[in-house]
Amino acid sequence: MTHDEHTPHRGNIPAYAIGALDDRDVAALETHLRSCLSCQNELAEYRAMSASLLMAVPPKHPPAALRTRLAGKLPSARKITRPRFTFSLNRFALGLTVIALFVLNLVSLMQLRQIQSQQARLSSQFENAQAALVMLSSPNIIMLPVLGENVSGTLLLDRERNQAVLVTQNLPPLSENQIYQIWLVKPDGGRDSAGLFSPESGQSYTTQNISTSQPFSDYLGIGVTVEPAGGSDAPTGERVFKVDF
Amino acid sequence: MNGDEENKLIGRLKKGDERAFLALYDRYASRVHGLTLRILGDPMLAEEATQDTFLKLWSRSREYLAERGPFLPWLLTIARHVAIDRLRLETRRPTLSNSIDPDETWQNLPDLDSVTDESRWRSLYFAVQELHPDQRDVIELAYYQGMSQSEIAEVLGWPLGTVKTRLRAAMENLRVVWNEN
Repeated sequence: MTHDEHTPHRGNIPAYAIGALDDRDVAALETHLRSCLSCQNELAEYRAMSASLLMAVPPKHPPAALRTRLAGKLPSARKITRPRFTFSLNRFALGLTVIALFVLNLVSLMQLRQIQSQQARLSSQFENAQAALVMLSSPNIIMLPVLGENVSGTLLLDRERNQAVLVTQNLPPLSENQIYQIWLVKPDGGRDSAGLFSPESGQSYTTQNISTSQPFSDYLGIGVTVEPAGGSDAPTGERVFKVDF
Repeated sequence: MNGDEENKLIGRLKKGDERAFLALYDRYASRVHGLTLRILGDPMLAEEATQDTFLKLWSRSREYLAERGPFLPWLLTIARHVAIDRLRLETRRPTLSNSIDPDETWQNLPDLDSVTDESRWRSLYFAVQELHPDQRDVIELAYYQGMSQSEIAEVLGWPLGTVKTRLRAAMENLRVVWNEN
Protein backbone atom coordinates (compact mmCIF):
# COMPACT_ATOMS: atom_id res chain seq x y z
CA MET A 1 0.00 0.00 0.00
CA THR A 2 1.54 3.28 -1.08
CA HIS A 3 1.32 6.49 0.91
CA ASP A 4 -0.74 8.10 -1.86
CA GLU A 5 -3.30 5.28 -1.74
CA HIS A 6 -3.48 5.34 2.04
CA THR A 7 -3.78 9.03 2.93
CA PRO A 8 -7.16 10.04 1.44
CA HIS A 9 -8.94 7.17 3.16
CA ARG A 10 -7.21 7.53 6.48
CA GLY A 11 -8.53 11.06 6.89
CA ASN A 12 -12.08 9.75 6.71
CA ILE A 13 -11.69 7.21 9.50
CA PRO A 14 -12.61 9.55 12.43
CA ALA A 15 -15.82 10.66 10.74
CA TYR A 16 -16.64 7.06 9.79
CA ALA A 17 -16.10 5.93 13.40
CA ILE A 18 -18.87 8.22 14.66
CA GLY A 19 -21.19 7.76 11.66
CA ALA A 20 -20.63 11.24 10.24
CA LEU A 21 -19.00 10.25 6.95
CA ASP A 22 -21.18 11.09 3.97
CA ASP A 23 -22.66 8.12 2.17
CA ARG A 24 -20.74 8.84 -1.03
CA ASP A 25 -17.42 8.31 0.79
CA VAL A 26 -18.41 5.27 2.84
CA ALA A 27 -18.10 2.62 0.13
CA ALA A 28 -14.58 3.67 -0.88
CA LEU A 29 -13.36 3.68 2.72
CA GLU A 30 -14.89 0.30 3.47
CA THR A 31 -13.17 -1.14 0.42
CA HIS A 32 -9.88 0.27 1.60
CA LEU A 33 -10.40 -0.99 5.16
CA ARG A 34 -10.73 -4.56 3.98
CA SER A 35 -7.12 -4.54 2.78
CA CYS A 36 -5.44 -2.13 5.21
CA LEU A 37 -4.54 -3.47 8.63
CA SER A 38 -3.20 -0.19 10.03
CA CYS A 39 -6.43 1.62 9.13
CA GLN A 40 -8.44 -1.18 10.74
CA ASN A 41 -6.49 -0.69 13.96
CA GLU A 42 -6.96 3.05 13.82
CA LEU A 43 -10.68 2.62 13.29
CA ALA A 44 -10.86 0.30 16.30
CA GLU A 45 -9.24 2.96 18.47
CA TYR A 46 -11.58 5.68 17.30
CA ARG A 47 -14.55 3.43 17.82
CA ALA A 48 -13.55 2.57 21.37
CA MET A 49 -13.14 6.24 22.12
CA SER A 50 -16.35 7.30 20.44
CA ALA A 51 -18.31 4.58 22.26
CA SER A 52 -17.07 6.12 25.47
CA LEU A 53 -18.48 9.48 24.38
CA LEU A 54 -21.85 7.96 25.30
CA MET A 55 -20.67 7.81 28.88
CA ALA A 56 -18.90 11.15 28.72
CA VAL A 57 -22.13 12.96 29.46
CA PRO A 58 -23.12 14.23 32.91
CA PRO A 59 -25.80 12.02 34.46
CA LYS A 60 -29.12 13.73 35.03
CA HIS A 61 -31.91 12.27 37.11
CA PRO A 62 -35.21 12.19 35.27
CA PRO A 63 -38.38 13.34 37.09
CA ALA A 64 -39.59 10.82 39.68
CA ALA A 65 -42.94 10.61 37.87
CA LEU A 66 -41.21 8.94 34.93
CA ARG A 67 -40.49 5.82 36.97
CA THR A 68 -44.13 5.63 38.03
CA ARG A 69 -45.30 6.15 34.47
CA LEU A 70 -42.91 3.53 33.18
CA ALA A 71 -44.00 1.02 35.82
CA GLY A 72 -47.57 1.69 34.72
CA LYS A 73 -46.74 0.57 31.20
CA LEU A 74 -45.47 -2.83 32.28
CA PRO A 75 -47.72 -5.85 31.68
CA SER A 76 -48.72 -6.37 35.31
CA ALA A 77 -49.90 -2.77 35.57
CA ARG A 78 -51.75 -2.88 32.27
CA LYS A 79 -53.73 -5.89 33.45
CA ILE A 80 -55.35 -3.92 36.26
CA THR A 81 -55.66 -0.50 34.72
CA ARG A 82 -59.19 0.75 34.53
CA PRO A 83 -59.32 1.61 30.84
CA ARG A 84 -58.40 -1.94 29.95
CA PHE A 85 -61.00 -3.26 32.39
CA THR A 86 -63.59 -0.91 30.96
CA PHE A 87 -62.66 -2.00 27.49
CA SER A 88 -63.03 -5.67 28.49
CA LEU A 89 -66.32 -4.92 30.19
CA ASN A 90 -67.58 -3.17 27.09
CA ARG A 91 -66.58 -6.12 24.95
CA PHE A 92 -68.25 -8.49 27.37
CA ALA A 93 -71.44 -6.40 27.33
CA LEU A 94 -71.32 -6.20 23.56
CA GLY A 95 -70.88 -9.96 23.29
CA LEU A 96 -73.73 -10.52 25.71
CA THR A 97 -75.98 -8.18 23.72
CA VAL A 98 -75.16 -9.95 20.47
CA ILE A 99 -75.94 -13.32 22.05
CA ALA A 100 -79.18 -11.97 23.54
CA LEU A 101 -80.24 -10.55 20.18
CA PHE A 102 -79.41 -13.82 18.48
CA VAL A 103 -81.47 -15.81 21.01
CA LEU A 104 -84.30 -13.30 20.74
CA ASN A 105 -84.30 -13.60 16.97
CA LEU A 106 -84.22 -17.38 17.20
CA VAL A 107 -87.19 -17.43 19.59
CA SER A 108 -89.07 -14.95 17.39
CA LEU A 109 -88.40 -17.09 14.33
CA MET A 110 -89.63 -20.22 16.10
CA GLN A 111 -92.75 -18.40 17.28
CA LEU A 112 -93.34 -17.09 13.78
CA ARG A 113 -93.11 -20.58 12.35
CA GLN A 114 -95.47 -21.89 15.01
CA ILE A 115 -97.96 -19.16 14.19
CA GLN A 116 -97.63 -19.82 10.45
CA SER A 117 -98.15 -23.54 11.03
CA GLN A 118 -101.13 -22.91 13.26
CA GLN A 119 -102.52 -20.46 10.73
CA ALA A 120 -102.19 -23.05 7.95
CA ARG A 121 -103.97 -25.64 10.08
CA LEU A 122 -106.77 -23.22 10.98
CA SER A 123 -107.10 -22.22 7.36
CA SER A 124 -107.37 -25.86 6.29
CA GLN A 125 -109.84 -26.53 9.07
CA PHE A 126 -111.90 -23.54 8.02
CA GLU A 127 -111.95 -24.71 4.41
CA ASN A 128 -113.04 -28.19 5.50
CA ALA A 129 -115.77 -26.77 7.72
CA GLN A 130 -116.92 -24.50 4.93
CA ALA A 131 -116.97 -27.42 2.51
CA ALA A 132 -119.09 -29.35 5.03
CA LEU A 133 -121.53 -26.47 5.31
CA VAL A 134 -121.83 -26.18 1.55
CA MET A 135 -122.45 -29.86 1.26
CA LEU A 136 -125.12 -29.77 3.96
CA SER A 137 -127.04 -27.35 1.79
CA SER A 138 -126.97 -29.76 -1.12
CA PRO A 139 -130.18 -31.77 -1.73
CA ASN A 140 -128.20 -34.78 -2.98
CA ILE A 141 -126.12 -35.26 0.08
CA ILE A 142 -126.11 -38.54 1.92
CA MET A 143 -124.83 -38.95 5.46
CA LEU A 144 -122.99 -42.16 6.23
CA PRO A 145 -122.05 -43.22 9.77
CA VAL A 146 -118.49 -43.76 10.96
CA LEU A 147 -117.99 -47.32 12.16
CA GLY A 148 -115.27 -47.73 14.80
CA GLU A 149 -114.60 -48.33 18.47
CA ASN A 150 -114.81 -45.23 20.67
CA VAL A 151 -114.99 -43.04 17.57
CA SER A 152 -118.11 -41.47 16.14
CA GLY A 153 -118.75 -39.27 13.16
CA THR A 154 -120.36 -38.85 9.78
CA LEU A 155 -119.25 -38.87 6.20
CA LEU A 156 -121.04 -36.29 4.06
CA LEU A 157 -121.09 -37.59 0.51
CA ASP A 158 -122.32 -35.87 -2.63
CA ARG A 159 -121.98 -38.30 -5.51
CA GLU A 160 -123.11 -35.83 -8.17
CA ARG A 161 -120.46 -33.31 -7.31
CA ASN A 162 -118.06 -36.09 -6.33
CA GLN A 163 -117.37 -34.43 -3.00
CA ALA A 164 -117.03 -35.85 0.50
CA VAL A 165 -116.30 -34.43 3.93
CA LEU A 166 -115.49 -36.54 6.94
CA VAL A 167 -116.56 -35.26 10.37
CA THR A 168 -115.29 -37.30 13.34
CA GLN A 169 -115.47 -36.97 17.08
CA ASN A 170 -113.23 -38.26 19.88
CA LEU A 171 -110.39 -39.33 17.63
CA PRO A 172 -107.41 -40.22 19.84
CA PRO A 173 -104.54 -37.73 19.55
CA LEU A 174 -101.39 -39.03 17.85
CA SER A 175 -97.68 -38.60 18.54
CA GLU A 176 -95.65 -36.19 16.37
CA ASN A 177 -94.37 -38.96 14.15
CA GLN A 178 -97.84 -40.36 13.35
CA ILE A 179 -100.78 -39.26 11.25
CA TYR A 180 -104.22 -40.50 10.19
CA GLN A 181 -104.47 -41.55 6.55
CA ILE A 182 -107.71 -41.96 4.62
CA TRP A 183 -107.98 -44.83 2.14
CA LEU A 184 -110.60 -45.32 -0.55
CA VAL A 185 -111.43 -49.06 -0.78
CA LYS A 186 -111.67 -50.45 -4.28
CA PRO A 187 -113.87 -53.44 -5.17
CA ASP A 188 -110.79 -55.56 -5.76
CA GLY A 189 -109.55 -54.85 -2.26
CA GLY A 190 -106.99 -52.28 -3.31
CA ARG A 191 -106.58 -48.95 -1.54
CA ASP A 192 -106.13 -45.40 -2.89
CA SER A 193 -104.87 -42.71 -0.54
CA ALA A 194 -107.41 -39.89 -0.10
CA GLY A 195 -105.66 -37.58 2.34
CA LEU A 196 -103.86 -37.15 5.66
CA PHE A 197 -105.10 -35.43 8.78
CA SER A 198 -104.47 -34.94 12.49
CA PRO A 199 -107.05 -34.03 15.13
CA GLU A 200 -106.70 -30.47 16.37
CA SER A 201 -105.67 -30.37 20.00
CA GLY A 202 -108.37 -28.93 22.22
CA GLN A 203 -111.15 -29.74 19.77
CA SER A 204 -113.47 -32.70 20.10
CA TYR A 205 -114.26 -32.99 16.39
CA THR A 206 -112.27 -33.00 13.19
CA THR A 207 -113.43 -32.02 9.74
CA GLN A 208 -111.52 -33.38 6.78
CA ASN A 209 -112.17 -32.89 3.09
CA ILE A 210 -111.72 -36.05 1.00
CA SER A 211 -110.51 -35.63 -2.53
CA THR A 212 -110.22 -38.08 -5.39
CA SER A 213 -109.92 -37.91 -9.15
CA GLN A 214 -112.04 -41.06 -9.52
CA PRO A 215 -115.83 -41.10 -8.91
CA PHE A 216 -116.71 -42.12 -5.39
CA SER A 217 -119.02 -44.67 -6.98
CA ASP A 218 -115.93 -46.64 -8.03
CA TYR A 219 -115.19 -47.36 -4.39
CA LEU A 220 -116.83 -49.40 -1.70
CA GLY A 221 -116.05 -47.06 1.12
CA ILE A 222 -113.21 -45.52 3.11
CA GLY A 223 -110.94 -46.75 5.84
CA VAL A 224 -108.71 -44.72 8.15
CA THR A 225 -105.44 -46.06 9.54
CA VAL A 226 -102.62 -44.69 11.67
CA GLU A 227 -99.51 -44.24 9.56
CA PRO A 228 -96.03 -42.75 10.00
CA ALA A 229 -95.90 -38.96 9.56
CA GLY A 230 -95.91 -38.18 5.86
CA GLY A 231 -98.20 -41.09 5.05
CA SER A 232 -97.72 -44.46 3.36
CA ASP A 233 -98.22 -45.85 -0.13
CA ALA A 234 -100.44 -48.59 1.27
CA PRO A 235 -101.99 -49.15 4.70
CA THR A 236 -99.47 -50.35 7.27
CA GLY A 237 -101.21 -49.50 10.53
CA GLU A 238 -104.32 -50.87 12.21
CA ARG A 239 -107.62 -49.54 10.94
CA VAL A 240 -109.24 -47.07 13.36
CA PHE A 241 -112.61 -46.82 11.66
CA LYS A 242 -114.35 -47.24 8.34
CA VAL A 243 -117.31 -45.87 6.39
CA ASP A 244 -119.19 -48.01 3.94
CA PHE A 245 -120.69 -46.38 0.86
CA MET B 1 -24.11 -3.44 42.43
CA ASN B 2 -21.33 -5.57 41.01
CA GLY B 3 -21.09 -7.20 37.63
CA ASP B 4 -22.58 -10.46 38.84
CA GLU B 5 -25.59 -8.72 40.28
CA GLU B 6 -26.05 -6.79 37.06
CA ASN B 7 -25.85 -9.98 35.02
CA LYS B 8 -28.45 -11.60 37.26
CA LEU B 9 -30.74 -8.62 36.83
CA ILE B 10 -30.33 -8.76 33.07
CA GLY B 11 -31.02 -12.49 33.13
CA ARG B 12 -34.22 -11.91 35.11
CA LEU B 13 -35.18 -9.04 32.81
CA LYS B 14 -34.91 -11.32 29.80
CA LYS B 15 -37.44 -13.58 31.51
CA GLY B 16 -39.85 -10.68 31.98
CA ASP B 17 -39.07 -9.84 35.61
CA GLU B 18 -40.47 -6.34 36.15
CA ARG B 19 -38.64 -5.84 39.44
CA ALA B 20 -35.34 -6.49 37.70
CA PHE B 21 -36.33 -4.00 35.03
CA LEU B 22 -37.05 -1.32 37.61
CA ALA B 23 -33.81 -2.09 39.42
CA LEU B 24 -31.91 -1.49 36.19
CA TYR B 25 -33.91 1.68 35.67
CA ASP B 26 -32.90 2.91 39.12
CA ARG B 27 -29.33 2.09 38.26
CA TYR B 28 -29.09 3.69 34.81
CA ALA B 29 -31.94 6.19 34.40
CA SER B 30 -29.72 9.16 35.17
CA ARG B 31 -27.20 7.99 32.56
CA VAL B 32 -29.85 7.59 29.91
CA HIS B 33 -31.59 10.82 30.78
CA GLY B 34 -28.32 12.74 30.81
CA LEU B 35 -27.63 11.56 27.28
CA THR B 36 -31.12 12.19 25.91
CA LEU B 37 -31.12 15.65 27.47
CA ARG B 38 -27.72 16.37 25.96
CA ILE B 39 -28.98 15.34 22.52
CA LEU B 40 -32.44 16.88 22.60
CA GLY B 41 -31.80 19.90 24.83
CA ASP B 42 -35.46 19.91 25.86
CA PRO B 43 -36.48 18.41 29.25
CA MET B 44 -39.87 17.15 28.06
CA LEU B 45 -38.56 15.60 24.87
CA ALA B 46 -35.67 14.12 26.83
CA GLU B 47 -38.09 12.59 29.32
CA GLU B 48 -40.07 10.99 26.52
CA ALA B 49 -36.89 9.69 24.89
CA THR B 50 -35.73 8.26 28.22
CA GLN B 51 -39.07 6.53 28.61
CA ASP B 52 -38.92 5.14 25.08
CA THR B 53 -35.39 3.91 25.68
CA PHE B 54 -36.43 1.90 28.72
CA LEU B 55 -39.51 0.58 26.95
CA LYS B 56 -37.20 -0.65 24.21
CA LEU B 57 -35.02 -2.20 26.88
CA TRP B 58 -38.08 -4.01 28.21
CA SER B 59 -39.13 -5.32 24.80
CA ARG B 60 -35.65 -5.98 23.36
CA SER B 61 -33.67 -7.17 26.36
CA ARG B 62 -33.16 -10.58 24.73
CA GLU B 63 -31.10 -8.90 22.02
CA TYR B 64 -28.41 -7.97 24.50
CA LEU B 65 -25.52 -10.44 24.47
CA ALA B 66 -23.00 -10.02 27.29
CA GLU B 67 -20.20 -11.56 25.26
CA ARG B 68 -20.37 -8.68 22.80
CA GLY B 69 -19.74 -5.96 25.38
CA PRO B 70 -20.91 -4.32 28.60
CA PHE B 71 -24.53 -3.51 29.20
CA LEU B 72 -24.37 0.25 29.75
CA PRO B 73 -22.89 1.22 26.34
CA TRP B 74 -25.48 -1.02 24.71
CA LEU B 75 -28.27 0.73 26.58
CA LEU B 76 -26.85 4.18 25.84
CA THR B 77 -26.54 3.32 22.16
CA ILE B 78 -30.28 2.64 22.16
CA ALA B 79 -30.82 5.95 23.96
CA ARG B 80 -28.70 7.80 21.41
CA HIS B 81 -30.65 6.36 18.49
CA VAL B 82 -33.98 7.06 20.15
CA ALA B 83 -33.04 10.64 20.92
CA ILE B 84 -31.57 11.36 17.48
CA ASP B 85 -34.62 9.84 15.79
CA ARG B 86 -36.79 12.04 17.96
CA LEU B 87 -34.68 15.05 17.09
CA ARG B 88 -35.18 14.39 13.39
CA LEU B 89 -38.87 13.82 13.92
CA GLU B 90 -39.25 17.14 15.59
CA THR B 91 -37.33 18.71 12.65
CA ARG B 92 -35.79 21.02 15.11
CA ARG B 93 -32.71 22.91 14.15
CA PRO B 94 -29.87 21.26 16.04
CA THR B 95 -28.77 23.22 19.06
CA LEU B 96 -25.24 23.49 20.30
CA SER B 97 -25.05 22.64 23.99
CA ASN B 98 -22.01 24.67 24.88
CA SER B 99 -23.49 25.86 28.11
CA ILE B 100 -23.27 22.75 30.25
CA ASP B 101 -23.68 23.37 33.94
CA PRO B 102 -20.39 22.30 35.57
CA ASP B 103 -22.11 21.70 38.89
CA GLU B 104 -24.01 18.82 37.34
CA THR B 105 -21.01 17.02 36.05
CA TRP B 106 -20.59 13.65 37.67
CA GLN B 107 -21.88 14.82 41.04
CA ASN B 108 -24.92 12.57 41.04
CA LEU B 109 -23.11 9.63 39.70
CA PRO B 110 -23.80 6.48 41.73
CA ASP B 111 -20.94 4.34 42.92
CA LEU B 112 -19.57 2.34 40.08
CA ASP B 113 -17.53 -0.77 40.31
CA SER B 114 -14.99 0.30 37.78
CA VAL B 115 -13.30 3.44 39.03
CA THR B 116 -10.91 3.22 36.10
CA ASP B 117 -13.66 3.37 33.49
CA GLU B 118 -15.38 6.12 35.38
CA SER B 119 -12.27 8.26 35.51
CA ARG B 120 -11.67 7.72 31.79
CA TRP B 121 -15.19 8.82 30.97
CA ARG B 122 -14.73 11.85 33.19
CA SER B 123 -11.49 12.73 31.44
CA LEU B 124 -13.11 12.31 28.07
CA TYR B 125 -15.95 14.59 29.12
CA PHE B 126 -13.54 17.32 30.14
CA ALA B 127 -11.54 16.74 26.98
CA VAL B 128 -14.66 17.45 24.94
CA GLN B 129 -15.28 20.61 26.95
CA GLU B 130 -11.71 21.75 26.44
CA LEU B 131 -11.76 21.35 22.69
CA HIS B 132 -11.57 24.49 20.61
CA PRO B 133 -15.18 25.74 20.26
CA ASP B 134 -15.22 25.05 16.54
CA GLN B 135 -14.08 21.48 17.09
CA ARG B 136 -16.52 21.01 19.96
CA ASP B 137 -19.41 22.21 17.78
CA VAL B 138 -18.51 19.67 15.12
CA ILE B 139 -18.36 16.82 17.65
CA GLU B 140 -21.63 17.97 19.16
CA LEU B 141 -23.44 17.96 15.84
CA ALA B 142 -21.84 14.81 14.49
CA TYR B 143 -21.99 12.57 17.52
CA TYR B 144 -24.74 13.90 19.72
CA GLN B 145 -27.08 15.03 16.97
CA GLY B 146 -26.33 12.40 14.35
CA MET B 147 -25.44 14.75 11.49
CA SER B 148 -23.17 13.95 8.55
CA GLN B 149 -20.27 16.20 7.63
CA SER B 150 -22.26 17.68 4.74
CA GLU B 151 -25.18 18.47 7.03
CA ILE B 152 -22.83 20.11 9.52
CA ALA B 153 -21.32 22.21 6.75
CA GLU B 154 -24.79 23.36 5.76
CA VAL B 155 -25.91 24.12 9.31
CA LEU B 156 -22.78 26.00 10.31
CA GLY B 157 -22.22 27.60 6.90
CA TRP B 158 -18.69 26.27 6.66
CA PRO B 159 -17.00 24.73 3.66
CA LEU B 160 -17.16 20.93 3.74
CA GLY B 161 -13.37 20.73 3.78
CA THR B 162 -13.29 22.88 6.93
CA VAL B 163 -15.77 20.61 8.65
CA LYS B 164 -13.71 17.56 7.74
CA THR B 165 -10.52 19.15 9.03
CA ARG B 166 -12.07 20.26 12.32
CA LEU B 167 -13.79 16.95 12.89
CA ARG B 168 -10.60 15.05 12.21
CA ALA B 169 -8.64 17.32 14.56
CA ALA B 170 -11.25 17.03 17.30
CA MET B 171 -11.34 13.26 17.09
CA GLU B 172 -7.57 13.05 17.14
CA ASN B 173 -7.42 15.26 20.27
CA LEU B 174 -10.00 13.09 22.02
CA ARG B 175 -8.23 9.92 21.01
CA VAL B 176 -5.02 11.19 22.54
CA VAL B 177 -6.74 11.96 25.83
CA TRP B 178 -8.51 8.59 25.73
CA ASN B 179 -5.26 6.70 25.19
CA GLU B 180 -3.44 8.65 27.91
CA ASN B 181 -5.94 7.67 30.62
